[in-house]
Amino acid sequence: MEYALLQAVFLPLLLSPVAYIIGRKMGPTPAMWFTFAILLYTTIIVIQAALSGTVEEHYPWTDQFGEFGFLLDGLASPFAIMIYVLCTILALYSKPYMIHKFHEQYEEEHKEIATTTGTSTVVESSSLSNYVNAKSGLYFALYLVFAMGMLGTVLATNLIEFYVFFEIMLIPGFFLVALWGDGPRRKIGLMFLFWTHAGAVVLLLGFLMIGLTVGSFDFADIHESEIPQDIVLVSAIAISIGLGVKLAVFMFHIWLPWVHGSAPTPISALLSPAMIGIGAYGIFRLIVEFLPATFADLAIWFHIWGLVTMLYGGAMALMQDDIKRLLAYSSISQMGYILFGIGSMSVLGLSGAEMMYVTHALGKGILFMMAGILIVKVGTRSISKLGGLAGKMPITAVCAVIGALTIMGVPPTSGFMGEWTLFYGALETAIEEGSTVRAVTFGLGLVATALTMSYMLWMLKRVFFGKTPEHLENVKEGSWYMTAPMMVLAGFTVVLGIYPDIFFEQIIPYFNGVLGV
Amino acid sequence: MATEALGLPFEVGAASAWLVWILPFIAALIMPGIGKLSKNTTGYVAVGFALMSALSAASMLPMALEAHEIHDQVMWIESIGLKGGVLADPLSIIMANVVGWISFLIMIYSTGYMKGDKDITRFWFWMMFFIGSMQLIVLSDNLLQVFFGWEGVGLASYALISFWYRDKKKDHVGTEGRTVLGLLDYYAPTHAGMKAFIMTKVGDVMMIAGMLLIFLFAGTFGFRELMDDHTWATAMSAQGLLVPAFVLLFGGAIGKSAQFPLNEWLLEAMTGPTAVSALIHAATMVKAGVFLVARIGPLVFALGAAGILADQFFEIVAWVGAITALLLATQGMVNPEIKKVLAYSTGSQIGYMMMALGVAGLSHQYVDGYTAGFFHLISHAMFKASLFMAAGSLLHIVGSRFMTDMGGLRKHMKKTYAFMWAAGLGLMGAPFITTGFWSKDAIFAAVYESGSEWALPIFAIAVLTAVITAFYTTRMIGMVFYGKKSRHIEKMEEEGHHIHEASLSMWVPYGILAVLTIGIGLIGFSAEGGIHHLFAEYLDHTFGIHTAHVESGDSFLPAPLDGLNPVALGSSLVAFSIGIGLGYVFYIGRWVDPVKFVNSNIFFYAIHKVILNRWYLNAIIYWCFVVAPLWLSRGIFRYFEKTAIDYGMNNGFQKAVGWGAKVVQGTQTGVAQSYLFVFGAGLLFVVLILLI
Repeated sequence: MEYALLQAVFLPLLLSPVAYIIGRKMGPTPAMWFTFAILLYTTIIVIQAALSGTVEEHYPWTDQFGEFGFLLDGLASPFAIMIYVLCTILALYSKPYMIHKFHEQYEEEHKEIATTTGTSTVVESSSLSNYVNAKSGLYFALYLVFAMGMLGTVLATNLIEFYVFFEIMLIPGFFLVALWGDGPRRKIGLMFLFWTHAGAVVLLLGFLMIGLTVGSFDFADIHESEIPQDIVLVSAIAISIGLGVKLAVFMFHIWLPWVHGSAPTPISALLSPAMIGIGAYGIFRLIVEFLPATFADLAIWFHIWGLVTMLYGGAMALMQDDIKRLLAYSSISQMGYILFGIGSMSVLGLSGAEMMYVTHALGKGILFMMAGILIVKVGTRSISKLGGLAGKMPITAVCAVIGALTIMGVPPTSGFMGEWTLFYGALETAIEEGSTVRAVTFGLGLVATALTMSYMLWMLKRVFFGKTPEHLENVKEGSWYMTAPMMVLAGFTVVLGIYPDIFFEQIIPYFNGVLGV
Repeated sequence: MATEALGLPFEVGAASAWLVWILPFIAALIMPGIGKLSKNTTGYVAVGFALMSALSAASMLPMALEAHEIHDQVMWIESIGLKGGVLADPLSIIMANVVGWISFLIMIYSTGYMKGDKDITRFWFWMMFFIGSMQLIVLSDNLLQVFFGWEGVGLASYALISFWYRDKKKDHVGTEGRTVLGLLDYYAPTHAGMKAFIMTKVGDVMMIAGMLLIFLFAGTFGFRELMDDHTWATAMSAQGLLVPAFVLLFGGAIGKSAQFPLNEWLLEAMTGPTAVSALIHAATMVKAGVFLVARIGPLVFALGAAGILADQFFEIVAWVGAITALLLATQGMVNPEIKKVLAYSTGSQIGYMMMALGVAGLSHQYVDGYTAGFFHLISHAMFKASLFMAAGSLLHIVGSRFMTDMGGLRKHMKKTYAFMWAAGLGLMGAPFITTGFWSKDAIFAAVYESGSEWALPIFAIAVLTAVITAFYTTRMIGMVFYGKKSRHIEKMEEEGHHIHEASLSMWVPYGILAVLTIGIGLIGFSAEGGIHHLFAEYLDHTFGIHTAHVESGDSFLPAPLDGLNPVALGSSLVAFSIGIGLGYVFYIGRWVDPVKFVNSNIFFYAIHKVILNRWYLNAIIYWCFVVAPLWLSRGIFRYFEKTAIDYGMNNGFQKAVGWGAKVVQGTQTGVAQSYLFVFGAGLLFVVLILLI
């Protein structure tokens, strides 16, 4: 199809005002279906394009920056597909959750008004529904822009274009957190904006150094050998740091537990699995592919950094009582796995790292949805107040177990396919180089998997098993809007776990090409 | 090798090999749907599918007897060039039959045992998943596929051990309030399930490391492919990685088979319904580890024969087996819970199997130890399944897991009493009439004749363990069926409960197995001879391990027992007599009160306490791997994450930004100061870099 990728990226942006108007005039349900339809259509376009092989589109842009293009190849397609699949599915999930949230905020605001003016106003039902309509219009409009920003980043073929999309996804993200988050949401939204933007600026710095030396920002013009060595090194480090903030690796993870904990749950379920992993995409594309020699120098540091992140995130997850924060630390740990795999510098290790993105998207998506159902149906996110819910909400419990197994890397979920290839890559390099450091990191990496298993199982035990506290006697299962998306992802992770070639057949040839095997 | 032979009968065989493990999975998949329609039907569907799976396994038996092999492959992960497939050789066919038929009986038993449970659909789902995963391990032709089954049984055990996830008091194990080294020795089902899953995962992690090492050098996970070409082993051996790789693989078996030092999960696994315990201990899960060693053992031995030595692997297997056999048997002597006694016994008996499989590799007659270990697996599967199911009946009727709450039951539950004696005699190794005797004797003989430098100490341990085994089995039967009725039972009778025999669907399965234990035992020697012959041929065909024919002319034993090792036979008889004699004195004849005996002097008291506290192993593991890491995590969370990161960096930057904002405010008023400040600073930095 002509202009396939252009449509896939810009259709959500162009139609986002329509979503806003539909929401305002007709209410959340039509807006949700409209959003769902757009995203479903664009998802199908992306999948179709991915099936037909590598797709490239180029459009003229400004003289200074070069071409504005899209590239969907073996590296980008798993990212692109996962991002849009998640966005599409979570659009459905958003409705019940956000309506719950809007109602909560409406009551909150009216209580404030009532206390400040000292009059007890009778809440009119029409004013509530107007409020919900307006908010849901805005929500779905921002949602579409957010989706578009993420897809654009992984399809970009130009450094400046990459940066622009990278920043575009930040802005709706900021508003979504600041408007409808939990807790001190404005402060946390600003924190999100500040840290990831600070990272982006460092990233831009790296881009400018490369772009200005090469004289072009097009990916196609970047040849490592033509750039002076010290500039390459400094810019590679700048890029890694910039992307590291997005990836929330150890020491740069400051913002993540706050933001993921506070963001409205469907957005957490997008931020965590889809968005932060884009940092990994950036490292694959910009450093592994374009700066291979520098990558070879830096790989061991990625490896160790990844390992520390894995262990640290896992250990911190053990200590959490807020279920969303637990999942947030778990995401940090999982991003550590990806970085660990990148550092392995071998085809299967890198492929496994990319598979980890896919599998983490599925698993963590399910788990965040579970957290959302608990928030809506139980009204708490504190693990210590939960227990024995498996009998009350069996579908959620089953899906959550599948999601947890995916994160733990237990077959037959896709997590295992990511994990064994990733560790194989680490071992391969360790043996080939005869490196003790790498052998030790390999061993500690395996320890981290046991840690992952511990915090996940412990969470499941405290939430779904054991005695049911009295106040949870009347808890009901979530609505179909909330459970069906979980079931779709749960089914997908099992299918992918048994037949991983769906993605491997794109990923592995790509890395074979990049590493020149 | 007839691996790729085609032709009609083989294709039919291949279909059976696939069906054996796929059928239980299909049953599991349709189970939720059937449960929605009618809960009562689920049991029939499960039993039906278990039967079909067992029949498919049986249909392959003729091929096993002719030492044929089915190896059917399909493309699995094309981008890595990995194939999946089934490998049905004599080893896996016999194993598949053991698993299939014993599971089938356990499923029948479960229809009675689990009657009326409101979560019955979930129960059947996981039971079928369990059986399917185990058969997948048995019939897979490569390690990666084995690992799917391997984690499958782990997952199923997790789900089934914590089946009664509401953590009611009656479902716990251990004695409430008892502590060892400051840690509670009292476990809820959900805790026990987690413990089992994580502890076996430690083994699995080792196993995957071993698998990946082998894959790295061989480029394949396939058992036959590894055998066909030895270059990978030569390369690994040159780097000194061959033994570590095999030992790591064995690590997986240590975890799954609950061998020292990863044995502690097995005891808490008793929180599951007894049908689950029977399945875990007799047919699935713990046998998986033994099977894995039986799978890779011949390969290691054949490599050794080809000059690529990995003897340390066998030494480790043998010693781990020996230590476990003794360590767990001792604990079986003192535990008050009937299921825990049986659990200790399982670990100990699996130790015997490992011992035999390990020693086999250290001797010149590989097939002797190999057959002995595998024969013991079969006979253990029968009597242990029977014992567990009988114990389940007792629990069902008496409503308590403590043997001290039983006593004097022989008049009320005559069938269970008789079957438990029969199966118990199998466990003790009662001479000449039980399968347990023949298989244990074969192990003794294999160890004694192995000619390894470790032969004597391991032999001594084996005999000592046999004494203890006979003792604790007698103790168990004595405490349950003999003596006076306990207060608990008297109270039940006062309240109007009638102590009666278990229902038909429950006693028939363990009756069958108990009778088989004796029945096969009567022809045990020739049965073992048959398996010996079959395996000798199999090892020769597939691995090129030849068996020398030993002339047995100088034996002084009477003709039917010709070929038995007199030392092994004698030790076996003596061990049995001492064990059962002591057990009789304390628990059946009740001539000496065991409690008084233990308290009579400080030495016995101390030993009893150490053993009752599980040699402190469990407590030490908890201190090192649960308490300490949690403590460390808490420390890091409090003093690093919350202070340095959250307070230090976040607030620090916030202040810096606040200050920066003031500076910028002169020119820029209003929105998102931080954003602009950083943007400006970034640009400035770029310009500076460019200028320099």
